[in-house]
Amino acid sequence: MQETLQTLVGGLSLGAVYALVAMGFSLVYRTMGLVNFAHADIAMIGAYAASTFYLTSKLPFAVAMVVAIAVTAAIGLVIERVLRPLENKDFDLMLIGTIGFGIVLQAVAILIWGTTGRAVRSPVRSAPLDLFGVRVRTYDLLVMAVAALAVLGLAWFLARTKRGAAMQAVAMDHEAATAVGINVGRSNALAFSIGAGLAALAGGLVGPMLYVDASLGGALGIKGFAAAMLGGFGSIPGAVVGGLAIGVLDSYAAGHFQGYSVLVTFLVFTAAIMIRPMGVFGERTVSRA
Amino acid sequence: MTRSSAPRPRTTTRAAVCTAAALAAALTACSAPGESADDTKASSGPIKVAVVNAQSGQLSSLGDWEYKGAKLAVDEWNKKGGIDGRKIQLKLFDDQGDPTTGTNLARRLVSEKYVAMIGTAESAVTIAMGPVLQQAKIPNITSGQSDGLVALKSPYLFLNGPTSTTYDSTLAQHLVKDKGYKKIAMITNNGSFGKGEHDAFLKAVKGLGVNPSTDQVVTTDQKEFSAALTKIRSTKPEVIFIGSEEVEAGLIVKQARDLGITAPFAGAAPQGTPVFIDTAGKAAAEGTIVSSPYLSNDVSDASKKFAAAYEAAYGKEAELHGAKAYDGANILLTALKTSNGAVGEELADAIRDTRYKGLLGDFQYDGTGVGITKTTIGVIRDGKLVPQQ
Amino acid sequence: MKLSVKGPSATRAGGLAAIAVAAWLLPYGLGSYSIHVVNIAIIYALLAIGMGLAMGISGQINLAQVAFFGVGAYTLAILTTDSGYGFWAAAVIAVLATVATGLFVGIPALRMQSHYLGIVTLGLALGFINWITNASVTGGADGISGIPLPTLPGIDLSSEYLYYYLELVVCAFGLGFGLFVVRTSLGRRLRAMRDDSLAAGAMGAEIPLLRMTAFLLASLYGGLAGVLYAGLIRYVAPETFSIGNMFILLAMVIIGGRRSLVGCVVGAVGLTLIREWLSDFSTYAQLGYGVVVVLMVVFAPTGLAGIPSRVREFAHRRRRSHTEDRARLRPFQPYEAVETPDAADEPLLEIRSVTKDFRGLRALDDVSLTVRPGEIRGIVGPNGSGKTTLFNVISGFYRATSGQVRFGRRATTTARPYALSLLGVARTFQNLRLFGQLTVRENILVALDRTRTYTIWQYAVWQPGVVRRERQLRRQAQELLERFGLTDFAEAAPGSLPYGIQRRIEIARAMASRPRLLLLDEPAAGLNGEEVQQLARIVRSIRDSGTTVVLIEHNMGLVMSLCERVTVLSSGGVIAEGTPAEVVAAPEVIEAYLGDSAMADVPLPEPAPRQAPAGPTQASASAEASASAEAPASKEATR
Repeated sequence: MQETLQTLVGGLSLGAVYALVAMGFSLVYRTMGLVNFAHADIAMIGAYAASTFYLTSKLPFAVAMVVAIAVTAAIGLVIERVLRPLENKDFDLMLIGTIGFGIVLQAVAILIWGTTGRAVRSPVRSAPLDLFGVRVRTYDLLVMAVAALAVLGLAWFLARTKRGAAMQAVAMDHEAATAVGINVGRSNALAFSIGAGLAALAGGLVGPMLYVDASLGGALGIKGFAAAMLGGFGSIPGAVVGGLAIGVLDSYAAGHFQGYSVLVTFLVFTAAIMIRPMGVFGERTVSRA
Repeated sequence: MTRSSAPRPRTTTRAAVCTAAALAAALTACSAPGESADDTKASSGPIKVAVVNAQSGQLSSLGDWEYKGAKLAVDEWNKKGGIDGRKIQLKLFDDQGDPTTGTNLARRLVSEKYVAMIGTAESAVTIAMGPVLQQAKIPNITSGQSDGLVALKSPYLFLNGPTSTTYDSTLAQHLVKDKGYKKIAMITNNGSFGKGEHDAFLKAVKGLGVNPSTDQVVTTDQKEFSAALTKIRSTKPEVIFIGSEEVEAGLIVKQARDLGITAPFAGAAPQGTPVFIDTAGKAAAEGTIVSSPYLSNDVSDASKKFAAAYEAAYGKEAELHGAKAYDGANILLTALKTSNGAVGEELADAIRDTRYKGLLGDFQYDGTGVGITKTTIGVIRDGKLVPQQ
Repeated sequence: MKLSVKGPSATRAGGLAAIAVAAWLLPYGLGSYSIHVVNIAIIYALLAIGMGLAMGISGQINLAQVAFFGVGAYTLAILTTDSGYGFWAAAVIAVLATVATGLFVGIPALRMQSHYLGIVTLGLALGFINWITNASVTGGADGISGIPLPTLPGIDLSSEYLYYYLELVVCAFGLGFGLFVVRTSLGRRLRAMRDDSLAAGAMGAEIPLLRMTAFLLASLYGGLAGVLYAGLIRYVAPETFSIGNMFILLAMVIIGGRRSLVGCVVGAVGLTLIREWLSDFSTYAQLGYGVVVVLMVVFAPTGLAGIPSRVREFAHRRRRSHTEDRARLRPFQPYEAVETPDAADEPLLEIRSVTKDFRGLRALDDVSLTVRPGEIRGIVGPNGSGKTTLFNVISGFYRATSGQVRFGRRATTTARPYALSLLGVARTFQNLRLFGQLTVRENILVALDRTRTYTIWQYAVWQPGVVRRERQLRRQAQELLERFGLTDFAEAAPGSLPYGIQRRIEIARAMASRPRLLLLDEPAAGLNGEEVQQLARIVRSIRDSGTTVVLIEHNMGLVMSLCERVTVLSSGGVIAEGTPAEVVAAPEVIEAYLGDSAMADVPLPEPAPRQAPAGPTQASASAEASASAEAPASKEATR
């Protein structure tokens, strides 16, 4: 019982990170219709940037995070600008373009920060909480809290602000959006840079939990993606549910199937997505034929 | 001999190709292509030595350390005038941790007439390259420690350190005999290194009459170990054996401490490195028992000298992998000197005959390519690996 | 890509022969290391062909190609080292095992597409890597060494120079077979499915089977590459089949040109050589091909292979501006009229109380409708009254929530679009769903091809049968192009043609399947007055040839002059049915249209039963307005 609960807690804390990654995927998908394969590598750059400002420039952790988010949002603007000619034309091609950007970002990270990677010390010093034998790290609680705040903030932004509503209008019908006076280019640029900022948030938070190196994106990306799909691509609450589900699935698979956990995780994921391709909160149909 | 799996469409286009191909075959049937084998010994000009290691990908930090160690040795020799007046030319190749790339590089070394190869750090790549290098008679001093390297039985393959078996039987001996631990838990990854460690340690402790209380296997890219660690915690072990690379081992130890596991960890070389200690955190790594042939830069005068030179050259602190590569390069260069710049079989024999007092200990190669079979036990105190008192 | 199964011209044969001789003589100029790199490059070329067939030709985003490669190599390694099979016997089993894996990985494609499929296949590839790293039968992380050398009588394959020839032959056959597939019936269907899977289904293509076929082809090449790899390196380990290598393979296919198999080969060979050449600067090389992939995607989406045709197109466009008038739409040549059979009492299409709900929204409400053979039936109604939904139910795109559809004597309520197409139902689409990357001729050929997917066994064992059928189809396509006056545009891309011509192509394509029932969804939308007249002649001739026609139309003039009977839908229900004159006079109809008059683009029918001359002009003008708003949407739909 204790083991089950502890595994659950472990899964939830990593799941919160997957949720943050999935949220960025989903935001960009919801507002641009684009699947951004470079997202996790942007998170990796964010993790490096945050750790550099935190460890090398000695900024407080929160400030380092903000700076890192600004940096990656700028990178997001660049990527969006380069791929803009393809927007609303060929999303499969854009998807491949973002894979190309992912390769570029990994190479850039190695050129800037080297190959070794770095450990980031936790900004929260207090000891883990002990609840009836189940240990919960305080830092994990912080991550979950930030993830929850991000969800609320995003939901508010999309539902209650003009900008957010405009973004979703663009994704639904960019011609009509243009007709009612929305600047599609600027809206997409903003959406993409917010997505990149969310990636940096995830990357920066995951730094002290794990270890920052150029392959961090690979570790976060595919599972974050799977999380977005499980929850329903484009849905913000879906990203959270999917992220936590993938985290817990991963954690239990590791407990029960040891070395075979990756295989089991992806087989279960494939089966789940076959049964319900639109995910838990999915609104769009995937294939009608 | 036909293969049913090869589809054979018949159209005029293909007929044209086939005719042309047949014609070309007829023209060239008399001589098959190939490279004329010239085994002439280049006795002038620089001696070409290759370092093959991952410079990109997950194992690139290992590759980086090893290149630095090997280069330090070569630079020192060159400063002293090289070998019989010939400079040693060291060139770095990136295997990207990929066996296919490794086999490409092996052919490249043959074709560009390298005398010897230093590397790689990944046993799988070295094993893939082995047959090519053996056929071309190019001695290879590898940094791998997998028992699979020995199983290759190549007379041209030498290890610059002990095998997993040596590391882990020394460790098991210490834990069971000296410390008297009876409850030992294991956590290893399923990678090449972790699997080797798992098998070697399990065999060693069983040989001493101890069965591990639990045997957890994780994957190489796992990040979250709650499930495995909770199982370990429930068996209340006195010590936990860890068989994994630096970063993952660090994460495991860090998470174990968060889960309230207080038992010390024990492991082989990776657990003695700064990367491990950094990742785990100084407090969490405290008390980790390490079996290593090179505990610290302060164990001997030679190591102090090496560490100072390393620091001067690269501005970084030396560690085990650099020291291993430094020893390996020195053995190769000594053998080259004693054999007057021999190549091929002669050079391999010269390496086998070399007696070398290195940073790791006294090297003396046997028929299997293993030159050192001793490690010492250290323990981490205040973020530093120090010899066990 | 040139599409012709006629004998290659002398220059092309000469060029091929020159390439063959150069390939044959290549090893004489290479050192032992270079030949090894070339051998690796050829293996990647095979992998890239498989990837191109799945991604570029069939539009299935398959990121598991590297796992197929691994299954082939590992199966061979296990069978030869563990089970004592000979190399070639093991090779055959390995390829079969890979194909079986390919079919398994392809199953998700039945439920999802695009990025969903990409991430699922990538996940399955990761699962495979995880499995080979763990299982003892695969040697774990250390892999399997000691794979025996393949033997051929009289040839020593331990020499990489001679191994090159083995690879060359396999790769040449592989490429030849791939091109053969692409340029004949199967490949055309795969490409049609890529461009528009819905329309392809309506033309009789069995989409689920075709998607599996795409994975079958990809895995076939993956398996062959794996076998050759194992024979060459004689050692397999998990790292070779990593996700990193998957993305490099993807870069090869994108840079070379995913829609051209030759491009895939060029990309694979080129990138392997460049990667080797830059191996001392691998991080910079990685940066380099990341950048090149991005640039290619933005500036040359068809890859290197697409550049010549883009240049040609550009030159052609400049030239055509002077000779624009040469290509023109020729008049339609009517079908020979046949007597409608006397059994006209039996309805051809019968719809009984069909209801269709979308998440609480009732699009069709208890609709009943009977169409007799030889009829031209008009279906009219305000926008959103459920006309197109009705067509989608009849043609199998939607399944009715309740009620029954009968075609001929069969119940077809649950039939799939392809099955209905094979039974004799053809349709056009309101938003034009032509296959954008296929020529006009190919668009017609897709619909002409009435064979079932299982006949692709011919590709494996009896290719002359494929060629013979292909010749026959092309003859029929030529006849059809001539009948519809489209010969001048036979090799053009449909998207480059004026709207009116595209409409006619859609009708020609629908008629290519020789249907018994033709469903036309707003065929006059966007046509000018003269074109509407032509359309009326075409539709009459189609009816006279024995095909029953049901058409949805807003152009009331056309409906009045063409249709014998008209059914009026409003808010998902039938509100009137009868002759045009009866219907237009019905009070329910007038009320329905008046109630909807707030919507500006709905043409008001003249209340008087006589045909007002103003009717057609007014209607077609408004139809044109709505069509121009639809045009971009249709482009998106066919991308």
